[in-house]
Amino acid sequence: MAKTYDCLFKLLLIGDSGVGKTSILFRFSEDAFNISFISTIGIDFKIRTIDLDGKKVKLQIWDTAGQERFRTITTAYYRGSMGIMLVYDVTNEKSFENIKNWIRNIEENASADVEKMILGNKCDLDAKRQVSKERGEQLAVEYQIKFVETSAKDSLNVEYAFYTLARDIKAKMEKKQEASNPPGGRSGAHQLKANEQQRKPTSWLSRCSVL
Amino acid sequence: MTNATIQEIEGIDDYWGPAFRSVYEGEGGHEAFVQQLDERIQQHDKEIEKLCNFYYQGFIDSIRELLQVRSHAEELHAEISNVDANVKESTESLCTRAEELIRARRVELNIASTIEKMELCLPLLTTYSKLKSQVEAKRYYPALKTLEQLEHVLLPRVGPYKWCAQISADIPRLRQAIQDASMADLRDFLENIRTLSPQVGAMALVQTQDMLGRSLANIVKNKKENPLQSIESSGPQCPHELVDFSPLHRCLHIHTVLGAKNDFVQYYRAQRKQQARLVLIPSSGNLHDSIQSMKSYLNAVLGFFILEEHLLTTGAGLVSKDWLLDTWSMSVTKVASTLRTNTSLITDPTLMLSIKRQIVLFINALKCYGLPTDPLPLLLQEMAEHYTEVLMQRWVGIFRDILDNASFSPIEVKNQEEYDAVMDTFPCDGDEMETQPFPRKFPFSSLVPAVYVQVKEFIYAWLKYSAGLGLGGGRRAAAARHSASLLLSRSFTGCLSALFRRPLPLMQLVQIIVDTQYLEDATSFLYEFISNITGSELVTTQAAGSMFQAARDDAEKQICDNLEKKVDEFLDLENYDWLLVEPSGQASSFVTDMLSYLSGVLTSLEQLPERARVAAVRAATNRIATRLRNLLLDPGVRQVSSGALYQLDLDVIQCEQFAAGEPVPGLREGELLEHFASLRQLLDLITGWDWSSYLHDIGIEGGKYALVTPRDAATLLEKLKEAEQKSSVFSVLKKNERDRRKLLDTVLKQLKQLQNQDG
Ligand SMILES: Nc1nc2c(ncn2[C@@H]2O[C@H](COP(=O)(O)OP(=O)(O)OP(=O)(O)O)[C@@H](O)[C@H]2O)c(=O)[nH]1
Ligand SMILES: [Mg+2]
Repeated sequence: MAKTYDCLFKLLLIGDSGVGKTSILFRFSEDAFNISFISTIGIDFKIRTIDLDGKKVKLQIWDTAGQERFRTITTAYYRGSMGIMLVYDVTNEKSFENIKNWIRNIEENASADVEKMILGNKCDLDAKRQVSKERGEQLAVEYQIKFVETSAKDSLNVEYAFYTLARDIKAKMEKKQEASNPPGGRSGAHQLKANEQQRKPTSWLSRCSVL
Repeated sequence: MTNATIQEIEGIDDYWGPAFRSVYEGEGGHEAFVQQLDERIQQHDKEIEKLCNFYYQGFIDSIRELLQVRSHAEELHAEISNVDANVKESTESLCTRAEELIRARRVELNIASTIEKMELCLPLLTTYSKLKSQVEAKRYYPALKTLEQLEHVLLPRVGPYKWCAQISADIPRLRQAIQDASMADLRDFLENIRTLSPQVGAMALVQTQDMLGRSLANIVKNKKENPLQSIESSGPQCPHELVDFSPLHRCLHIHTVLGAKNDFVQYYRAQRKQQARLVLIPSSGNLHDSIQSMKSYLNAVLGFFILEEHLLTTGAGLVSKDWLLDTWSMSVTKVASTLRTNTSLITDPTLMLSIKRQIVLFINALKCYGLPTDPLPLLLQEMAEHYTEVLMQRWVGIFRDILDNASFSPIEVKNQEEYDAVMDTFPCDGDEMETQPFPRKFPFSSLVPAVYVQVKEFIYAWLKYSAGLGLGGGRRAAAARHSASLLLSRSFTGCLSALFRRPLPLMQLVQIIVDTQYLEDATSFLYEFISNITGSELVTTQAAGSMFQAARDDAEKQICDNLEKKVDEFLDLENYDWLLVEPSGQASSFVTDMLSYLSGVLTSLEQLPERARVAAVRAATNRIATRLRNLLLDPGVRQVSSGALYQLDLDVIQCEQFAAGEPVPGLREGELLEHFASLRQLLDLITGWDWSSYLHDIGIEGGKYALVTPRDAATLLEKLKEAEQKSSVFSVLKKNERDRRKLLDTVLKQLKQLQNQDG
């Protein structure tokens, strides 16, 4: 049977409640936007296949609840993630300040080589803005994390953000592969297998029973 | 002898014959007789002489006297002539005077008779001039009376004068002129009441309104507030007083006098009927645009008939009861149908209410004026249905808003204040919660109180319509209950269904199911609320419980679909290496991810009714089993190594462990495992290489591999064979491997045979 994809990346969205994580994911997976706020309960995921340099990359994106009470459930998902989006709301100072806490969370719970990206969402709401783009960039530079301002509503930079993160993961993975495998003669299936092995050390299935 | 004869002759005057004969025949002859005659003559002469002698003197005297008389006579004659002349002279002037007198007398007589005649004419003339001036002053009725008098009393009394004839000839013309003029007046009147009747109707409606709102308290209040007003009410007291009917009555009188009363009545009725038709067509076209146009329409109609009714009661025969009722019944049907068409287009409940209020007022006013109200009450009922529809439409919008903005997460309250706010809006059992520390969490979402409040609002709005319809509290309450349940079971459920049309997050669905349960439980409170505001007895018997069943079913189905979809998404991530040589000994990552995700989800479904959770877990498990089984039998996969088979077996075992762990309560023991049974048997058969038992037991019910069809067994076996051939293509087979290959071929052959038998 022909495989429907070449690699699978597990991504995670974190950030304070209401910053627009679900909206960003909804925009990315369904290309739609909903003005009403339905706070996420626990965890959910969406899958979208993207084309990255001729490779079919399946993104399984986990959307976590921002509310404090779900923290234990959601942190369990850090471990298996290959990329994490840190989202804040440019109209909400507090959500921006909390990014540091979220980064600490990642450091404590995710694998060390996880790719990260900071998103300053709701940049369409210029009138209500509390966090300037410069401050966002400043923070990103401090942590050496990529940064982009997005708008789920106006569909601004959402695609870009996911593609960038996916591309970075892919690049990192290929670099690792090159380090462990001598170059040349890799078939698709072979690579998949390599991916599988790649993933296994960081796999979180052993934790599943704990969940 | 001779002597005798003479004597005879002397004695006899005639018939002397015999005497003469005797003379002739006698003795002595005729000589003797002549002698005797002579003697006789002498004798007579002597006697004459003697006589003369005797009278001579007298004669002379007489002559003398005569002569004297003669002179006297002459004197007399002169005198008489004189007198005669005198008389003649004096009578001549007398005669002329007499004649003058006669003439004067005649003039006098003539004058008298002329005056007499003139006196007869005079009233005629004055009357005639009066008539003229009356006509000029448009006082037609007196004019006609005058005309009458003129014609029948005065004219006959006066002779046949030429001018009389002229007047006589004038009379019909005048009469016609009066009739025409009065007709013109009638037209003015008709025109006038056409413009006035809306005011009449408006006033009547205001009065009816006042009357309906009349209560002792109100009257006292009004008196207190405007003590003067009641005294100085100088305007018209009754609506019909707005109209001056005198032109009409005058016209009627005139026509009565003219003997054309019937014609007039007919004309009047025809005109009014025509006007009625105009009144019945709404002037502003669309009555549903504003209450104002509706008001003016009803005012006009009511005013029209109030005036007619007034004419009926004031007699005069202009309007008969039959005619009025006839016209009315024609009109009221038209009114009803006009109102029906116009109201059926209204989508604004407030407008509906105002219109209803107007119609109720209209009906009450009609009752006051003794006009039958049918079919208007029926119309009100129809409108009630439409109103309910309109309200429901509006509330659909409200519900949609609520649902659109709903968070579908349980209400969390941080302090007593917030807690009380929820408890105030929604009746629920707080006993358990009272003891909990803040923040407290309600089991339902904010949707529940919001919808509950809106249903109450709906009931308020709904009852507004039935107010003033004269329905009893019990009937109103029953209808209100009906409408409220209809609102929930139809409108709200409809909105929920619409919600389900797009895929919803699982938790949202769960909350919806929980919320509907709470809403359903709250119906009894709604009924209590209804009985309180309608002042009717509380009805406790209710057929609730199924109100949102459809929505719940939808939600449950969506939950199942949702879970199945998630399972599919996980299984789409499957990337088996079907030629795997050495299994890692660990389950595939997509399977463990999936199972942990599912157990997480199922835990969070805790608030769901058991039935729904069981259905959800069944659906998910079944989907996993089916998908895994299909994976194995997928014709696209040509080869399956035993390594791959073991990997899959390991994954299935994970799933079976999950199923055996009874992830939700309420399941039959081992129930979920049954979904994996056929897959399990297939895997056991192949991995256990237990072909003899399989072929032996085939067709036996309850056998160890009863769920494995020869076809599936063959399919999988083929794949295994393909894989083994591939891996050993260059190597030399060992003896037992050759035997195994041989057995495999035999089994395949047998399975094919079995397939053919079945097929
Ligand atoms: N104007 C604007 N509003 C947005 C944007 N993104 C999200 N929102 C709104 O912000 C609110 C919160 O969005 P969500 O995506 O549900 O927030 P979340 O981060 O998933 O919140 P939790 O699930 O509680 O963690 C919603 O009302 C969205 O409509 C955006 O880019 N612009
Ligand atoms: Mg969310």
